[in-house]
Amino acid sequence: MLRSLLVCAAVATTAFTGTAFAEALKTYELVLKGDVFTPAEIKVPAGAAFMIKMKNENAAPAELEAKLLKIEKVAAGQSSIVVRVRGLDPGKYLFVDEFQEQTAKGYVIAE
Amino acid sequence: MIGAAIIVFREVIEAGLIIGIVLAATRGATGSRLFIAGGVATGILGACVVAFFMAAIAGAFDGFGQEMLNVVILATAVIMLAWHNIWMSGHGRELANEMSAAGRDFALGKRAPLALAVVVGTAVLREGSEVVLFLYGVSVSNGGSAASLAAGSAAGLGLGVVVSALTYFGLLRIPPRHLFTVTSWLIAFLAAGMAAQAAGFLQQSGAVEQFAQTVWDTSAYLSESSVVGRILHTLIGYSEAPSLLQLIAYVVTLAAITGLTRLARPAARPKLVSAE
Repeated sequence: MLRSLLVCAAVATTAFTGTAFAEALKTYELVLKGDVFTPAEIKVPAGAAFMIKMKNENAAPAELEAKLLKIEKVAAGQSSIVVRVRGLDPGKYLFVDEFQEQTAKGYVIAE
Repeated sequence: MIGAAIIVFREVIEAGLIIGIVLAATRGATGSRLFIAGGVATGILGACVVAFFMAAIAGAFDGFGQEMLNVVILATAVIMLAWHNIWMSGHGRELANEMSAAGRDFALGKRAPLALAVVVGTAVLREGSEVVLFLYGVSVSNGGSAASLAAGSAAGLGLGVVVSALTYFGLLRIPPRHLFTVTSWLIAFLAAGMAAQAAGFLQQSGAVEQFAQTVWDTSAYLSESSVVGRILHTLIGYSEAPSLLQLIAYVVTLAAITGLTRLARPAARPKLVSAE
């Protein structure tokens, strides 16, 4: 029992050591103002993981959501968030501000 | 208004289901109602605090503080659910079978609900902070639509309460001698689903990069953001595109809870093992 606990601890430590949260991934800047994302389309190379940094310039909070990119993250008013996205197959992926999802839309285009 | 109702409902549906299950699981335990109400109240308070500090939390851990907070909250809930099931299996079966006589064993009735009160609190906290932020957004965005948005939000919240009530009264239709078994399984699946979610947040934050491959993608058939998808997501941990790590976390948690529950079960009462 004790030995297996030690093994678990060792594995966990190995898994975490040297894993920085924000490694040198390419970061794409995104701005939300009103219900408009700028840019409305983010072009990324297929297969490479990347990050999106979204600045919410509204007073109201927003929730950046892209189901197929596994993004669901709240941004308080006048603040920025970062999200990681895994390497994507070529294609067009919708993202929205969930709090105004009918109008606030943008796309990640992997090619 | 419909839009606001849907957004709020989608956020509270999970907490609604969990509260319904917990209410049924602790039915008859002395003081459990008070504990659960306390859990909900603490959760709402916590949701307001989290919402207020959202910008600061988001900035922590190189921008992945939200994910880390979610991991901690979910892990706490998983441990409490596991502990409840294991403990109830060892000591609480008599309580569950003789609910009318629960009052005479106050100590027995009080400890397990405390764990579940924490579960309820974390569920409300997790989903509630987004509702609070959304409502705050409604209140700062001026214009005539604010009143209609507020009405929609209230409707969404009301629907969440209805889900809770339906879950609770639905479970109570199960004969008492089976209810304990049913709620035990529901709690084990809840915990497994939450563990998978926590694993997902660890991967989103980049803290864990192993086992990232997607095991299946059923988003075209049953979307996780649909109401049915949400309900299944909460109840059995349905995920439209889980990673391998999430699947592992799910299976390990389910196996650990059912295994330990079996071990904790008093050996002298084998006839109660049936009904599964």
